[in-house]
Amino acid sequence: MKLKQFQRCALLATTLLCGPAALAHGPAFDCYLEREGQVKCVAGFTDGSSAVGRKILVRDLGGKVLLEGDVGPDSSFGFQVPQDPYSVTFLGGEGHEVTLQSADITP
Amino acid sequence: MTYKPLLHAVAATTMCLAGSAQAHFQLLYIDDTALPRAHPLELAAVFTHPFSGGPTMAMGAPRMFTHIDPHGERTDLLKALRPVQWQSRDNQASAYRLSLPREAVRTLGDHTFLLEPEPYLEAEEGLYIQQFTKLVINVGGVPGNWSEPQGLPVEIQPLGKPYANWTGGVFRARVLADGKPVPFAKVEVEYLNNDLDLQRNAFGANAHVRAPQASFNVQSLYADDLGIVTLGLPHAGWWGIAALDIGSTKTYNGKTLSQDAVLWVQATDMK
Repeated sequence: MKLKQFQRCALLATTLLCGPAALAHGPAFDCYLEREGQVKCVAGFTDGSSAVGRKILVRDLGGKVLLEGDVGPDSSFGFQVPQDPYSVTFLGGEGHEVTLQSADITP
Repeated sequence: MTYKPLLHAVAATTMCLAGSAQAHFQLLYIDDTALPRAHPLELAAVFTHPFSGGPTMAMGAPRMFTHIDPHGERTDLLKALRPVQWQSRDNQASAYRLSLPREAVRTLGDHTFLLEPEPYLEAEEGLYIQQFTKLVINVGGVPGNWSEPQGLPVEIQPLGKPYANWTGGVFRARVLADGKPVPFAKVEVEYLNNDLDLQRNAFGANAHVRAPQASFNVQSLYADDLGIVTLGLPHAGWWGIAALDIGSTKTYNGKTLSQDAVLWVQATDMK
């Protein structure tokens, strides 16, 4: 009985802790050109949770990965502008990928 | 013919009564408060009567105009303000405009703008009005410091995101003076009834809604015992919330000073 009660409490706690976050959670991502040929990308989530440590991929138009890195402690990731057109993808978790094309990345 | 003077008198009285049933509001306007991505911003600061599209009062040079970015970093924008003549329904008066480049707001999250205007002398009432005004916008959907008090002498603290409200929803906020709640503060709520034409520095000619009677021009209510005010947002667009005469500074230039707190909230239709 006690074990069942514990399991129910654990389930309730898990639902309360994880449920709303899972429902409200969405990726937010943008990149812009900085001086000296740098691209700066910033990433986050719509519930305010941190994107620090999440992966970011820079690919050429053929899909080849040119660069891979992590979102830094300031929620950003920077890289040198590739010579040819490219895309940047924020891997924010399952169903939470956002890709920007280089044509949409401006100062 | 003989009743014409009477008609004129009635008309004049009606206009006076209508005029008294509207509030002075320090408008701090931007086209959209919830931006999917950052873009250059155009802001307008106009001291006016929002429901009736005027008359507009002349603004002196603001004392403070600050941008707070999502990291809490403050930028003084006073020097970027430019004075303009604002055309309202029936008069022109000095107001201020600000153009911000995309770079200033491209960080994801909440961006807050604070305005401390020069006190305005309301000659008819023989008092000064100073409305500390706050506007919060968001870039990209990442929430931030929208609910945090920003240290103004008088302030309205949002209890919901000011930039993410559906038409027909309810909005709550807390009235603060020196950072503390103001129980039973007198609050006025007014709808910005005319579109703004930022190209012409003018209110648009057409009003969105018509009040059935002068009392509807501005809603008057009181905060509760915790200083919390609750209001509905029955129409898409901009709603101004002003808490009146809550500051601790009560005089200016030898006259009574009303220090008011203003917050602007945008309601958006569900489509």
